[in-house]
Amino acid sequence: MSAPLLRVREIDAFIEQFHILEDVTFDVPDGGITVLLGRNGAGKTTTLRSVLGMTSVTSGDIEYNGQSIVGKKTHTIAQMGIGYVPEHRAIFSELTVQENLRIAARHKDDLPRNIEMIFTLFPDLKRLYQLQGGNLSGGQQQMLAIARALVPDNRLLLIDEPSEGLAPVIIEQVIAAIKALAETKTVLLVEQNFRVASQLADNYVIMDHGQSVAHGVMASLSQDDEIVQRYLGVGMH
Amino acid sequence: MDNVQDVFQETPQDVFRPPPMWRVFLREHWLHLLIVAVLIVLPHAIGWITGDSPFGRVRGSRVIMAGESTYWQAIFIEMFSLAVLVMSYNLMFGFTGVISFGHALFFGIGGYAVGIVVQYWDVDPNLAFIAGVLLVIFITSILGLLIGLLSLRLRGIYFAIFTLAIAEMAWLYAGSWRLTRGEDGLTINRLPEWIDPERSRLMVYYIGLALFVTAFLVIRRLVRSPAGAVFQAIRENEDRAKAIGYNTLRYKLLSIVVASVLAGLAGILMGILNKSARPELLGVTYTVDALLITIIGGVGTLAGPVVGTAGLHLLELWVRDSSIILSLNLGLFEFTLNFSQDWILIIGVVFVVVVLVFPYGLVGTWYRLRARVGDWWERRRATT
Repeated sequence: MSAPLLRVREIDAFIEQFHILEDVTFDVPDGGITVLLGRNGAGKTTTLRSVLGMTSVTSGDIEYNGQSIVGKKTHTIAQMGIGYVPEHRAIFSELTVQENLRIAARHKDDLPRNIEMIFTLFPDLKRLYQLQGGNLSGGQQQMLAIARALVPDNRLLLIDEPSEGLAPVIIEQVIAAIKALAETKTVLLVEQNFRVASQLADNYVIMDHGQSVAHGVMASLSQDDEIVQRYLGVGMH
Repeated sequence: MDNVQDVFQETPQDVFRPPPMWRVFLREHWLHLLIVAVLIVLPHAIGWITGDSPFGRVRGSRVIMAGESTYWQAIFIEMFSLAVLVMSYNLMFGFTGVISFGHALFFGIGGYAVGIVVQYWDVDPNLAFIAGVLLVIFITSILGLLIGLLSLRLRGIYFAIFTLAIAEMAWLYAGSWRLTRGEDGLTINRLPEWIDPERSRLMVYYIGLALFVTAFLVIRRLVRSPAGAVFQAIRENEDRAKAIGYNTLRYKLLSIVVASVLAGLAGILMGILNKSARPELLGVTYTVDALLITIIGGVGTLAGPVVGTAGLHLLELWVRDSSIILSLNLGLFEFTLNFSQDWILIIGVVFVVVVLVFPYGLVGTWYRLRARVGDWWERRRATT
């Protein structure tokens, strides 16, 4: 087995005085989709933010591509090839679709080189290219948010709750797109919707009360009713 | 959105088919060019209409600045200075989302630094004046950089309060130092002839106009550039801009330093016009004026500060000059409103009404209205 792309080792993180993450440890293998599962408030979003240096990590280590990134500045981490798609369809609503994508480019030729791939994944964006982000529908905004992370040649994408608040038919489109882009990139996904997660992910990490409590291959989790019941609540499809 | 159809059929690289340069230029700038042309002709036009020379009146062997044309020149010079101050504030506050309550610091430094160099340095006035201008650019950029660096640690309202404290400190010191002549203010009477408003006001008018146009173009170039998109991204959500990979501090510094230098240059113009630098230049009033005019004109629009400054300045002038007296007799009470005395009340009411009727400022609301009418028209055309 090749070395993991992202290694998170026993990290602790605080938000103000609250101890949010405690000894969180997991690996994200190179390639494929890893999903962070867990109830509300388990620390999934904080884990993504810690990887990006947006929440400061007080102890432990995070290695990306063999290099420690703890304590580095957010923009430096991002420039190392990590794309972040925050929750709530975080686009720049006052910029047009084109500007939203162009601003994400790190080199002049990033956008021209990747635009065809983006339009293949999200054909809608082509039609809406000159429209202000704020005028897009929720699903279109989510697609734009993902597309933005695809403009530079990121190797790892952190995607937070892509299905949140979207209509089922749109969720299907988003799932298809994430599946397609995972063929060339590694994805670390936070997803509340277990059905979506089980369709997408190759590996899982379960978090509970700020700790990583279980991990493994997604296909086996679907069979393991006990863990699903204990950490993810009851009656999960 | 008349090219939605095109976008659908073509790749985005092909969508942009440039028409001839001059037509693009004219279509985009006809209003700008018209305004600049009017402002160039204005002193002469007023002179021609009223019969007062734009160069002032000859009294014996001297020329004095009297008559309608020179009077309006002074008003417009003040307007140019204020407009540059407000535009610079808008670059920081409107486009980048950095709120400062101490922007007048840079405005005051402009007036004082040039004044001190010109008054105390015993060399050729031309040299002293140019050295003063360079000194202002130097001080304001360094100070802007230092204050900008603090925005790394202080965000939002804390940064605003900090800048207020610095500016108020400068205001207090300027009012008590011997060098700055305390509360009386520093009289600036050693200006070279070509920039002395009592001797060649028309020249000062054109220099003010040039500063105004230059400041507008610099800000326009900046906010329309890729950096401008990053400014707006920072205003919307700084963390998001960082997550894309931008060192947001660097962009905030750029915005703050450019705004500081422009405010300093505006301060020089104000100092020249008044032929003095007084502590008021550093006072919070100028900052609040800049903030209010930005909001009234339209936060984050290029034209907003200009429209706001011109509108409010001319309105204030008219109200203070008018002889309107409204009287309301309610038997027991008699309520009198004298426009020229209670002008500040009138302006206040106008502020409130404008904010209520134009929630995005004059220019901002106009843009939104225009976009909405355009959308409606497109939809109507598409359905019928």
